[in-house]
Amino acid sequence: MTGLGLGLMILLGGLIILFFVVMFVIGAYNRLVALRNRYKNAYAQIDVQLKRRYDLIPNLVETAKGYIKHERETLENVTKARNIAYTAAQTAAANPGDANAMKSLGSAETGLAGTLSRLMMVSESYPDLKANQNMMQLTEELTSTENKISFARQAYNDSVMTYNTQREVFPANLIANNFNFAAAELFVVDKPEEKAAPKVQF
Amino acid sequence: MDFFERQEKARRNTKLLVVYFVTGVALLILVVYLVVAIVFTASGLRHRGRHYNYYNNDTQIEAAQHSLWNPRLFLGVALGTLAVIGIGSAFKTMELAQGGSAVSSMMGGRLLSPNSTDLDERKLLNVVEEMALASGVAVPPVYVMDSEQGINAFAAGHTTSDATITVTRGCMKLLTRDELQGVIAHEFSHVLNGDMRLNLRLLGAIFGILCLAVIGRILLQARGGNSRDRNALPLLGLALLVIGYVGVFFGHLIQAAVSRQREFLADASAVQFTRNPLGITGALKKIGGLGEMGSRVSAAHSEEVSHMFFGNGLATPLFGLLATHPPLEERIRAIDPAFDGNFPHTRYAPEEESPYQIAEAAIPARRTAMPPLVPVAMAAAMSNLGTPNTAHLHYAVELRNSFPPALKDAAREAMGASALVYGLLLSTDPAMRETQLRLLAQNTSDAIRQETQRLLPVVDPVATNAKLPLVDLAVPGLRQLSPAQYLQFSKATQALIEADGEVDLFEYVLQKIVLRNLDTQFSGARKVVVQFYALTPLAPDCSVLLSALAHVSSEDPAQCQAAFQQGARILSAAARAPMTYVTSEQCNLSQVDTALNRLNQTVPQIKKTVLNACVQVVAADGVIQEMEAELLRAIADALDCPMPPFLQPQQQAMAANA
Repeated sequence: MTGLGLGLMILLGGLIILFFVVMFVIGAYNRLVALRNRYKNAYAQIDVQLKRRYDLIPNLVETAKGYIKHERETLENVTKARNIAYTAAQTAAANPGDANAMKSLGSAETGLAGTLSRLMMVSESYPDLKANQNMMQLTEELTSTENKISFARQAYNDSVMTYNTQREVFPANLIANNFNFAAAELFVVDKPEEKAAPKVQF
Repeated sequence: MDFFERQEKARRNTKLLVVYFVTGVALLILVVYLVVAIVFTASGLRHRGRHYNYYNNDTQIEAAQHSLWNPRLFLGVALGTLAVIGIGSAFKTMELAQGGSAVSSMMGGRLLSPNSTDLDERKLLNVVEEMALASGVAVPPVYVMDSEQGINAFAAGHTTSDATITVTRGCMKLLTRDELQGVIAHEFSHVLNGDMRLNLRLLGAIFGILCLAVIGRILLQARGGNSRDRNALPLLGLALLVIGYVGVFFGHLIQAAVSRQREFLADASAVQFTRNPLGITGALKKIGGLGEMGSRVSAAHSEEVSHMFFGNGLATPLFGLLATHPPLEERIRAIDPAFDGNFPHTRYAPEEESPYQIAEAAIPARRTAMPPLVPVAMAAAMSNLGTPNTAHLHYAVELRNSFPPALKDAAREAMGASALVYGLLLSTDPAMRETQLRLLAQNTSDAIRQETQRLLPVVDPVATNAKLPLVDLAVPGLRQLSPAQYLQFSKATQALIEADGEVDLFEYVLQKIVLRNLDTQFSGARKVVVQFYALTPLAPDCSVLLSALAHVSSEDPAQCQAAFQQGARILSAAARAPMTYVTSEQCNLSQVDTALNRLNQTVPQIKKTVLNACVQVVAADGVIQEMEAELLRAIADALDCPMPPFLQPQQQAMAANA
């Protein structure tokens, strides 16, 4: 009987260990899902602000058109860059964190930021445009939206980092690999003014 | 039954549940032991009989007698069973301890972005925002289960600060605004009545027992092994499986019985809240009209949360004995006795415009400033606690509409919401404001300071009694902060409050509300463990709180002391200990903070006494000023007793006529 009791103890001990392992797997899996949801949700926050900015830009271009006589192509470039970024954002929103989508959105945004700062520079030489009430309001709103985008982008990148770390550390990486938790991509926008001093040409 | 009694009842139910559960587990251990003993003795004897058949019969009989009561075996079985149930429950409880959001995402809910522009989502978010303002709690996160076509909803979380509301797609798409309001009011009642903690305990306990059955299933499939246990293992597995499921069955039985009671209560509270029986009955009728689909939820975990739903989430076998909700007809008749039992056919179709929606649209964006300095009838203060009614709802709708769009937009995203809170904390004194803005830029970034300044023209005119609701509205936006940004945010608010170096109780409680509601997200759900069942050891804390309130109530030291005495009288009697009036240096913010935290660890009835005393202090001069009213609400909120907004008598009357 003692032998039986001991055998049973070992069996139960084994079961409990197995149980711990199962619980751990479930816990780690759930945590990965939660973190993935978090960064996707963080992306949704950027998306709302991006859309707002894409809506503002055509108005800005329309207002500036009436004043800017010479460098018309600056305006066209802004519109073009805005459209590219708009498409990129739509792709990214469908699959946030996807490496290709985030990279192309990043470069599209960098391009848009470049053309916009160029437009701002050009508008410096049109005092009437600068004094225009509508233009002032739009610029103000654009700055505010850009601030919000970079704030939301920071939150997104933070949560992507947490998620990526979680899926790379042992032993959670075993679960991440087996259940297809792909790495998420950061959203990086290069600020042109930080890279090089702007060249002003007339 | 007032708010505190309902809370107390939920607590008593929880305790009763623990008793049931412990008895159940003890019984389970006994049964498992019996099965193990019988199975192993039988198989052991068979083996022994085969191998050692030269032993005489006496030994066999002796062995059999021995084995039926074997203390070591019993210890092993008891520990094993306890370990399985314990680990299972602990695991589930831990998973749920992350708060309502864990449950909502477990059910496949998608978190709605607070600044969503989708029409249906916006409608749902608006209804939730109004309900939250009317009941005086922070706006909870809202989730939608996109793959569920039935009409159902549930609330989850430990307290109001980590509560979430989850609705099915059918609920969002099929219901009119009024019906949606009824459903959300029902869910809010669960939150306010303290049903959620009860629910989470139940979830943990039942899951623990379910683990027994799971292990049984594993054993049943684990054939083979060594020859000695070959026959015993599947048999034991089968027994565990049966025992586990019988345990779960009884667990569900208890769950269902408790749940059905709470459902009627929540229905009644919802009608009291919206004073619109058509809303909730309409929603119930539509569930009936959907036929087969009804309120069915097919998510994998729906059995676990079945008792939290608005309607039955599962098929109900056994003549409704296991039903977590009373039958639809019965629920409708409880509200509308004239119901004929015919459910109109419900289809997915473009919904009709609800009159409520038109009424709302007709209210023009009005002044932000509500009438200043209102004497409030103080009797209303306590009776309304945790029991918002139609007047509060109307008030909330109006208040929300009175906020300029820029303010509402800002409250819905992370950066704007933080800027909004910073803006509310800025001093009216220009020099001090300058200092605070500098501090803000140091603690955060220039962009945030800019955003705060940009919002100032809309934040500054916000009336005192609209500040707290505004903070409640900003909470969903603030939830979008990343942990690093949250750290920065809490440092910055601290810096802004301490900038002027003087006690500003209102600023403090404002910050407390924000941080309290966000802490649940960034550092796990706060579990308030009741540690005090009597007021006596808390006398010093009461003294600090009442003194701090008294200092705010008047400029004149003599009047302050008189005000203090008003409240102290009540508490001295309740605590059977004298209250001492302390100077304002002795009740600074950190001391008030400690006192509030300790007072929060008490049973509901004590909180009621304390809040009553607080009302007496601020009403000592016959009126409750607007600032005092908001202070009271904030303190009540810090004690987990949400207080609806204070209304003037004419507002009450207006709403009653409307």
